[in-house]
Amino acid sequence: MMLKRNQIIGVGFFLFVIFVAVPWLIHVSGRWDFYYTLTSVALLSIASGGVWLTFYIGRINIGQGAFALTGGYVAAILVVKYDVSFWLTIPIAGLFCAAVAVIIGLPILRLRGVYFAMITLVLTEVARLTALALPITNGAKGISSIPLPGELSILGLTLIPDFSTVANVKLAFYYLAAVLMVLCFAGLYRLVNSRIGHLCRSLQQNEELASSIGVNTAYLRVIAFAISSFLGGVSGAIFMAISRSIYPASFPVKDSVDFMLNCFLGGLGYVFGPMLGTFMIYFGWDVLFTTGKYQLLIYSAILILLILTLPNGVLSLRIFNKRGTAK
Amino acid sequence: MSALLEVKGLTKRFGGLTAVNDVSFDVHEKEILSVIGPNGAGKSTLFKLISSFLPSSSGEVLFKGQRISNLAPHIVARKGVVRTFQETTIFKSMSVRDNVIISHHLRSQASLAGYFLGTKTALADEEEFGRSADEIVEFLNLGEIRNELASNLPQGHLRALGIAIGLATNPSVLLMDEPFAGMNHDETMRTVELVRGVRDRGVTVLLVEHDMPAVMKISDRIVVINFGEKIAEGIPSEIQENEKVIEAYLGSEDDEIGM
Amino acid sequence: MEQIIANGLYLGAQYALIALGLTLIFALMNVLNFAHGQMYVIGGFVTYTVYAQLELPFVVALFASAITLAVVGALIEKFLFRPVIKKSVREESTMLLAAGIAFFLDAVILLVFGEKQRGVPKIVNGLFNYDNYTLVMPYDKILVGFLAILSITTFILYMQYSKTGRAMRALAQDKIAAQLMGVNVERYSMIGFALGAMLAGVVGGLLVSITGVNLGMGGPTSIKAFMMVMIGGAGVISGAIAGGFILGMMESVGLTVLAAYGDITYLAIFISLMIFLAFRPQGLMGKPWG
Ligand SMILES: Nc1ncnc2c1ncn2[C@@H]1O[C@H](COP(=O)(O)OP(=O)(O)O)[C@@H](O)[C@H]1O
Ligand SMILES: [Mg+2]
Repeated sequence: MMLKRNQIIGVGFFLFVIFVAVPWLIHVSGRWDFYYTLTSVALLSIASGGVWLTFYIGRINIGQGAFALTGGYVAAILVVKYDVSFWLTIPIAGLFCAAVAVIIGLPILRLRGVYFAMITLVLTEVARLTALALPITNGAKGISSIPLPGELSILGLTLIPDFSTVANVKLAFYYLAAVLMVLCFAGLYRLVNSRIGHLCRSLQQNEELASSIGVNTAYLRVIAFAISSFLGGVSGAIFMAISRSIYPASFPVKDSVDFMLNCFLGGLGYVFGPMLGTFMIYFGWDVLFTTGKYQLLIYSAILILLILTLPNGVLSLRIFNKRGTAK
Repeated sequence: MSALLEVKGLTKRFGGLTAVNDVSFDVHEKEILSVIGPNGAGKSTLFKLISSFLPSSSGEVLFKGQRISNLAPHIVARKGVVRTFQETTIFKSMSVRDNVIISHHLRSQASLAGYFLGTKTALADEEEFGRSADEIVEFLNLGEIRNELASNLPQGHLRALGIAIGLATNPSVLLMDEPFAGMNHDETMRTVELVRGVRDRGVTVLLVEHDMPAVMKISDRIVVINFGEKIAEGIPSEIQENEKVIEAYLGSEDDEIGM
Repeated sequence: MEQIIANGLYLGAQYALIALGLTLIFALMNVLNFAHGQMYVIGGFVTYTVYAQLELPFVVALFASAITLAVVGALIEKFLFRPVIKKSVREESTMLLAAGIAFFLDAVILLVFGEKQRGVPKIVNGLFNYDNYTLVMPYDKILVGFLAILSITTFILYMQYSKTGRAMRALAQDKIAAQLMGVNVERYSMIGFALGAMLAGVVGGLLVSITGVNLGMGGPTSIKAFMMVMIGGAGVISGAIAGGFILGMMESVGLTVLAAYGDITYLAIFISLMIFLAFRPQGLMGKPWG
């Protein structure tokens, strides 16, 4: 992958900030609670990154909550009932969600526009109700008191220490989430800037024409949806590990809508849009906590004002456009 | 001359209406064959049946002796039968060159994963597509505007871009739905030349059109349909004198004749 | 059996009315109104305030709900949707806006009406008992169902025969053609949005007399409305009505038949909807695309 010089500097700066500057600042200021916030932002932006990819093929996805929930449950059940190592459950949860996405996606990805949006929203409800109804998910009580991630070692070499022995679990989770976020967005960046991204854009712009030039549109749509759901599942699995519990209400419809909002707000044409959008929405919400009962009012009012002034996303602003990413 | 594409007893019913009724004809290799007929005759429907954008009610289409009707459109395209669109359909938010590059999809050697990882094959593909796209763009006189956003192009260039997209797929047969619609005389003549050029590259052209002068000028052979049925077939001079054809066209509005 | 059908019809009438509003807005502006459920909740609270607190007649309360929501709808269309639709390059932006508005209305409801469940005194007392308990229906439910059907009928007649209704139908069918025929698109979009919101308000007002109202009802109501619209076909009036009655009936049947298996009625409904849409993506009466 060819990166220009200022791109390398940008990436280096970004990595420096999240892996060095932030932990240092938190250490100095003693605001340990920020770790939780930033970890959440990282995980939510992974899930949002998936949603963004479905947007990229021209589908409005409001179903990511369903996959985050599924991923969380798969990981929790494996850890608690089958004693599987948490580290193994991360890819399993992701793959399970991807498989579900293939099965569900084959029929529903034929839907377009509002129809697809509505059916994915419904999917979020289906996931919640399924979690309530199945015996293995333990109904409304959910699964709680899940142990912290254990050690990850290969051939006796410890790659990741047992989280119950590390001095600072918050920091450990922060690093985990940050690493995965970087991997996820590096992957998405590569995807979008390769010929696959080009193909995705062709779907977004005109599916009929795409199939007339020989693109297997159904296949590509399912692939994109599966990747999206994989990311949702992974993020759900780690959320489960952090909160050490999972309930049917862990990822409600509001979350699915939020994932979509994150993408919109960051800008649908830019790979790093969902990261920025998630950061702004999550932090905005957190900062507004001090306003008490006016929190939701101010938050939604700002949201509406943002949409009114920047209907094409924050990254559509001129300053960002100069070094636009995906386009 | 052997038949490259055989249309056999093709029929399409929409509820009670039979839009295409038992139409049969052959398309020979490297010819330009036009299907003409008054508005509503069923040309577009026939066209969609051949390119498999619509399932047929009965009958079939054979390409090199293999059945291609009722397959998914992308599979038909993969076999070498590619359509362009009547409505100037393009990828709007891509540059002209990108439109053509993406349309090389069928020539891909690398897999999706290969493109993601940037394997040798993938890089070779990309290079080859870029080179070929530049050649096609030049061929259709789009060189100067290759980096324009497709949505900014004027009508005439859009039509050329549509043909470029079709060519990029490296088709054996290119199907064109009304390539001259909405064009003035000069534009039509220029496009006629383009279509001839396409044929000279070795591509068989099947076009659906109701601009008579253009059709007469360009076609090797002509098939005439009216009310969904084939009423005549032959070389342009035969068609021009065919009683049934004259009747069909006189029966419709004057401007349709265009002569 | 009769009981299930009667319950289904009663629910269906409410649902159809909600779906009608949603589908009207969709047909006119291609906007999926996420805030529809919140509008319904506001309707419920307004009726609660006027009828239970100010102790005015129920009919007055219903009108108050209708008018409040019509005004809210008109304002939202004029000051929020219209500018965003003009400026955005992707139609999805309206969906984001709608979601923002849903949050905003939730916040307003929270501040103005609080988060408590509210109910109102019964509008009529008594129980209709047919054939010794084969069919039982409280009179207030019957009245509410009747009022809902009356509203649906009025709405259909209005869309069919009034000048405004005809203009809106023209607009829904083909925006550009309607514009060429001299239909004032902005004006009728606003009227349509107001009308759609008003329908949500009316159902909210009607149902508060039976089920009460609370802040949390907004989201789930929107989801139900989406389902009905999907069953019937987005943007089609007959589809919304069909969708409403079908969902009402399924809920009624499910609650009885599936009761033994726990609370899985909606799970079953959701899954059958997904299977149905796999075979008929445009819904029962929607136009197929492409
Ligand atoms: N999808 C469809 N559903 C129903 N009728 C159709 C459909 N497509 C075309 N028709 C009808 O089939 C007939 C032939 O149409 P078409 O093939 O577009 O004619 P042409 O291209 O020759 O003008 C017309 O009467 C048209 O109304
Ligand atoms: Mg036609």
